[in-house]
Amino acid sequence: MSASVPIAVIGAGNWGTTLAQVIAARGCEVRLWTRDPVQRDEINQRRSNVRSAPGLVLDPRVLAVSDVSQAISIAELVLIAIPSRAFRAVCHVFAGVIRPEQLVVHGTKGFEIDSHRRMSEIICEETCARQIGALAGPNIAAEIARGQPAATVVASAFPRVIEAVRRALSSPSLMVFASSDVTGVEICGALKNVVAIAAGIADELRVGDNAKAFLITRGMMEMMRLAAALGAEPMTLTGLAGIGDLMVTCASPLSRNHRIGVALARGEKLQEAIARLGMVAEGVYASRAARTLAREHAIELPLFARIDRVLHEGLNPRDALNELMRLPAGRDVPRFAASPVAHAHTRP
Amino acid sequence: MVATAPAAGGRYRAPTAATASGSPAPYVVSGADVGREVTRRVMARILAPADSEPPAHLEDVAFETIYAEQLRLSHAERDPRTASDQAFIAWFRHELARADGERKKELVYAVVDRYAQEIAGHFDRRVYRVATRVVPPALNALLSGLSIRHVREFDIDDRIVIEGETRALKAVARLGTVILAPTHVSNLDSLVLGSVIFRLGLPPFAYAAGLNLFSNPLIGFFMRNLGAYTVDRKKIDPLYRETLKEYATVLLERGQHSLIFPGGTRSRSGAIERKLKLGLLGTGPAAFRNRLEHRASRPSIFIVPCALSYPLVLEASTLVHEYLRVEGGPLYGDIRDEFDKPRRWLDFLRGLRELDQRVHVRFSRPLDWLGNEVDENGISRDRQGCPIDVRRYLIQDGSLAADDARDTEYTRSLATSVVAAYRRDNVALPTTVASYVFFQCFRRRRARLDLFRFLRSLAPESGVPVDEALGDLAFAVDRLERLEQEGAIALGKDVRNQNAAVLLEQALATLATYHRVPVVERRGSYLHVLDPSLLFYYANRLEGYALRTGQKGREN
Repeated sequence: MSASVPIAVIGAGNWGTTLAQVIAARGCEVRLWTRDPVQRDEINQRRSNVRSAPGLVLDPRVLAVSDVSQAISIAELVLIAIPSRAFRAVCHVFAGVIRPEQLVVHGTKGFEIDSHRRMSEIICEETCARQIGALAGPNIAAEIARGQPAATVVASAFPRVIEAVRRALSSPSLMVFASSDVTGVEICGALKNVVAIAAGIADELRVGDNAKAFLITRGMMEMMRLAAALGAEPMTLTGLAGIGDLMVTCASPLSRNHRIGVALARGEKLQEAIARLGMVAEGVYASRAARTLAREHAIELPLFARIDRVLHEGLNPRDALNELMRLPAGRDVPRFAASPVAHAHTRP
Repeated sequence: MVATAPAAGGRYRAPTAATASGSPAPYVVSGADVGREVTRRVMARILAPADSEPPAHLEDVAFETIYAEQLRLSHAERDPRTASDQAFIAWFRHELARADGERKKELVYAVVDRYAQEIAGHFDRRVYRVATRVVPPALNALLSGLSIRHVREFDIDDRIVIEGETRALKAVARLGTVILAPTHVSNLDSLVLGSVIFRLGLPPFAYAAGLNLFSNPLIGFFMRNLGAYTVDRKKIDPLYRETLKEYATVLLERGQHSLIFPGGTRSRSGAIERKLKLGLLGTGPAAFRNRLEHRASRPSIFIVPCALSYPLVLEASTLVHEYLRVEGGPLYGDIRDEFDKPRRWLDFLRGLRELDQRVHVRFSRPLDWLGNEVDENGISRDRQGCPIDVRRYLIQDGSLAADDARDTEYTRSLATSVVAAYRRDNVALPTTVASYVFFQCFRRRRARLDLFRFLRSLAPESGVPVDEALGDLAFAVDRLERLEQEGAIALGKDVRNQNAAVLLEQALATLATYHRVPVVERRGSYLHVLDPSLLFYYANRLEGYALRTGQKGREN
């Protein structure tokens, strides 16, 4: 891939705009797709994107387009940064344009509502693209846009996809680590938001730092358990997409998910909290997905189940914590042996 | 010892020069010719990083082979083949120790060549023509226990139902080269499929048969002449695997339709394969790319999954015992494979015939080598029905490129589609439906035991009420009919719209024949299980379709 081939970024939200800026700063042309012609003109004429990335002055190599074929047709690498709710619809739009030899990587953290599909599965279902990857990690967009040091992880089973993302993104201020575990990285990105809600609750209830650390750690174990059940590599959770992203999300009082947790612990109803914050946190949906997937795979996720009940069934956060404390304390770090009998027969 | 080693101490001739890379004539594939080409390619790959002399890689490969072969031979049965292999490896090791660079190449060439010769069948189109005329009656003779008296009684074709996408199979067989990828139930599979392929009027399919099958001289004879090449699953060294995969690739590349069992071996548990071996299944991308580069006509490669459903399985006892021995520990001892006992074949076929039972061979929609569905014109379609130009999956920086890591991922995606096709084209038969229901009736009474304790706890005295089984059976049939409408499974004619009581009777009758003891028996108003392992085996075929009554509530 020569520097003259532009890279397509689908979605001019906060993360998409930031990715476009990082790539352009590396000297590569970017086609940034947005559905909104007003936003497109703002980017192209004023070099700004006030709604999604306030204060950012966009590199001249970023060209905003609202025709999807204009964005994608000559790109070798296509990066998607679309919220999980709109992901399938957008994939459907560019399905007719994308070609089998193109490499598609998404940076969306979440499961699809209702179907609980991962984003890579949606790409596979909706388009002919097969050389797919996922991007995740402790990446607060504003920090990366300012050029502060950071690291991210790109996961793909295709070495070529990883190479392409590295060429596009890595710079002295952004290290791009590699993983072959797409499922694991996607699970990390989606589920850490639920743990952040738990962290928000713990902060607001003032139960102490011990309790908060305990909740985050148990949350990670449950993420590992679900990851193993879905065929991912549990060790992926110890990487940037797992622990890395958990540390950022659970520590920052500005994170949407953390703020939802705080609001619930204050006694607000979920709908009130969402209305007051003016935005929806991914963790609100991810807790549903985690609970359903756990049921399907016959595993127990006590923390996730209780956060889900707090969110959707009106369980009092303090009662939820008390329930958790009364559970039998088992093995700290579980053993993830591959199950020899792959049969539902074992337990009817 | 030295005498058996090939040209002991002598110099091997250097690999023959590259064969002309023109378009090879399709459907003319002779074993020896392919063998030479395979050896040449494998050697070229080993010697590819040719910056050092001799390449360090070459030595690694040689030592890995020696190690793996010695390990295998230390457990192998004492027979002439083992003795010959031992002599060869000893010779190889001895020579390698004092060889210079060129000589090392020759020695590794000798190993690859020996493997290629072993793998290569003796397929010959002229022999095939003769064989197709001789084999059907001869096969029937074989299947009737080698007794002329029974020849007319047993017509194997009469016991096979061919269904599913046969038209699509015939269409893609004309448009390109086909890999037929069936589930693997029994050693009879290849014979059944050989007969089906012949009846459909398709050209011959080459296939990889286990070395053990060739030890039966009669079957070995038929197999070789019907295009079988040999796989020795006990050989695990990379050199062997590479040679085998290359052999399959060259066959495909030359337009030779092939039959492979992606599960690798017969299903031990009786369940449909969920994990497939990617090796032979993954020959598509490389063969397709080579065909494109050689500008071959009709370069497409199609994969046609196919589910085999047996009402009774010849080797069921051996298979499930092996499964339980591996999974459940030493409580399960060794028993001898029924496949080696002609007498059992007779019993088996008599069972099928007397009970009017048939083996179902159901073909799935053809796929490309990434698992996309292919239409009747051989064009791949994405899930929205848009055409896909599959050549583009191989393009990097504007031109066709080899990339093993990429192709392995494509094959993984293909394997997912093949497994899904198996589940859809699995045919539920009275024995499997009833076994599933009976098994669950017993299982829920002892849900706390793990599987192996549970199986051992089942004694002939323990029974379940017939009424309970009938209720569950009615539920299962109802659910199966809905699944069939959704296209999630196929039903045999004796299952569709069937009254539970009739189904029960038919299943009990079938399960009472052929096997040493009836699998399940009715005593008064109770059902008793006499062979829990076999019940488990037949039940497994329908695992994962949510047929249990207990799951009614969970669905909502």
